[in-house]
Amino acid sequence: MSLNKIESAQGLRIRSTQDFAAGLFMIVLAGLALFLSRDLATGTLRQLGPGMLPKSFAVICAALGLLLSINSLRYKGEKLAGWSWRGVLFVLGAACLFGLTIRGFEIGPLKVPALGMLVSGPIVVFVSGLAAEDVKLKELTIFAIAMTIACALLFKYALSLPIPLAPWLFGI
Amino acid sequence: MHDMIANLGLGFSVALGLQNIALAFVGCLVGTLIGVLPGVGPVATIAMLLPITFGLDPVGALIMLAGIYYGAQYGGSTTAILVNIPGEATAVVTTLDGHQMAKQGRAGVALGTAAIGSFVAGCFATLIIAALGAPLTKLALLFGPAEYFSLMVMGLCFAVVLARGSILKAFCMIMLGLLLSTVGTDLETGQERMTFGFPPLADGIDFAVLAMGVFGFAEVLRNLENPEARDVVKAKIGRLLPSWEDIKQSTAPCLRGTFIGGTLGILPGNGAVLGPFASYTLEKKIAKDPSRFGKGAIEGVAGPESANNAGAQTAFIPLLTLGIPPNAVMALMVGAMTIHGIIPGPQVMTKNPELFWGMIASMWIGNLMLLIINLPLVGVWVKLLQVPYRLMFPAILIFCSIGIYSVNNQPVDVAFTALFGLFGYLLIKLGFEPAPMLLGFVLGKLMEEKLRQALIISRGSFMTFIERPISAGLLLVAVAILVIALLPSMAKKRDEVFTE
Repeated sequence: MSLNKIESAQGLRIRSTQDFAAGLFMIVLAGLALFLSRDLATGTLRQLGPGMLPKSFAVICAALGLLLSINSLRYKGEKLAGWSWRGVLFVLGAACLFGLTIRGFEIGPLKVPALGMLVSGPIVVFVSGLAAEDVKLKELTIFAIAMTIACALLFKYALSLPIPLAPWLFGI
Repeated sequence: MHDMIANLGLGFSVALGLQNIALAFVGCLVGTLIGVLPGVGPVATIAMLLPITFGLDPVGALIMLAGIYYGAQYGGSTTAILVNIPGEATAVVTTLDGHQMAKQGRAGVALGTAAIGSFVAGCFATLIIAALGAPLTKLALLFGPAEYFSLMVMGLCFAVVLARGSILKAFCMIMLGLLLSTVGTDLETGQERMTFGFPPLADGIDFAVLAMGVFGFAEVLRNLENPEARDVVKAKIGRLLPSWEDIKQSTAPCLRGTFIGGTLGILPGNGAVLGPFASYTLEKKIAKDPSRFGKGAIEGVAGPESANNAGAQTAFIPLLTLGIPPNAVMALMVGAMTIHGIIPGPQVMTKNPELFWGMIASMWIGNLMLLIINLPLVGVWVKLLQVPYRLMFPAILIFCSIGIYSVNNQPVDVAFTALFGLFGYLLIKLGFEPAPMLLGFVLGKLMEEKLRQALIISRGSFMTFIERPISAGLLLVAVAILVIALLPSMAKKRDEVFTE
């Protein structure tokens, strides 16, 4: 949206924090890509090197980001909205827990055996379910168990995917 | 013509096998089942259901995936009509009149019209694909690397112009997708690029990981934040079959919609998304009484739904004949095909005719299935729509987790997906629409390969892209569409189309 006279008299200021941040984000990502690909040969036009495209794409990304930031000074737009940490923590945390427990892991002194889907399944459903504002613990617990059994039947037996169920208990 | 019939005959002999019919049926059923959930669009549905096709042979897997795709599309329309929540951009228009009809107690007729319209559109679109498949494949074989590169540039330009929201931001997403596609081992020199020295990244970013992170997990985060006001229709569903009067009113819009949607769907770069909008606008313009629209006009359901389905299907044409996916859903299909060891492109038709024609024939069967499955099962879908989101998203999560794990049997992939979920959430927060990124990501590797080949052939001269007539033509179209979209008057119209 263009500005009216009063607003343009106010000079340049950030009129859309969302766009401004988006522009910065593009520039930062492009900078990271340029940094990571600094040692890759650019090559010549006749024989493109491995670094040619990553670097070119990064430069274009940075330019677009710059344009976006500049535009955010001139045009009105959305404001940056807050994060919902609760969702990020529980939903993404649940997925990470699934990855960590399904076949076990070892990070330094921490050691978790392969627990299999019969343990990882309820974990992922239960932990992610905590992200909802209107969570009901009893309902969620029952649902977690039911979903796991359904998934075990579907993926392990109906579709015979090689996913461990409970190696520590049944050996499969 | 004779060839086409022979080819379709071959296709039907494959698709009508007992196993393949069953797969098409199951695909449509689970596709609808997941697609009907509010807030789960076709991309998320397909990404989630990808693993259930792993154990199948390639033909069966593709038939099932196609079924899932139609099911997801149709499920989105059901949600649009019954709950007023469009699963994706193409179903937005259906909410306008479809939901109004539902409120007036004509939900059944709206769903029935959508199903029948989709079926009619699907029949025509199948014929179009069968007719255009062979000639376009021949044309594709004439394409050199330069033409391919220019074609992809054109496709990406279309994708930028047709994306929702700001053009500049869509452009950013395409470039980001291209940039992400360069992560991993360089094909020619074997050097690792931008991998942080981290071994799992050496093969590049896994497509399924990116898609499920950005469309599965991030979407869940987005939905958790904006608890949708779910407006499930309380009124009776009513009779499903449209009355004679309804059929008379919707026949012409349905045929026009099929034509519009089918034509736009062929365009590289997500032309299909325009179909329903164009059809709705046209119906409103030529209607005797335009004021009925938005208040439950049956033409406003029949036209856009036909256009939607026709476009969804003809979008397979660029993928099957040229190997170039026109939108994010088709990009996902490329990922799925690659998992089954098929590289989409003109060679598929010559090397695996039974796969190519079998899939096309199964499209028609899939559309028939939708009609058979959906009309009797409407009651089940309505029940499903009442499942609260607090239970729905944990189910999505366990499905995604098992799915990603199963792609490579790599637990670390699940953590990576969570990371991309965070990335996708950040993009959403910054006002980016992630769909074009997925397209850029899929096309990136192919573009780099073709660019290198073209430049080797031309001995390092960029002029090759302009000197070769087909390539020059494609680039010209790309520039023209960008210029037109950036003209102030057009930019305004574009905003109107996408906000309506």
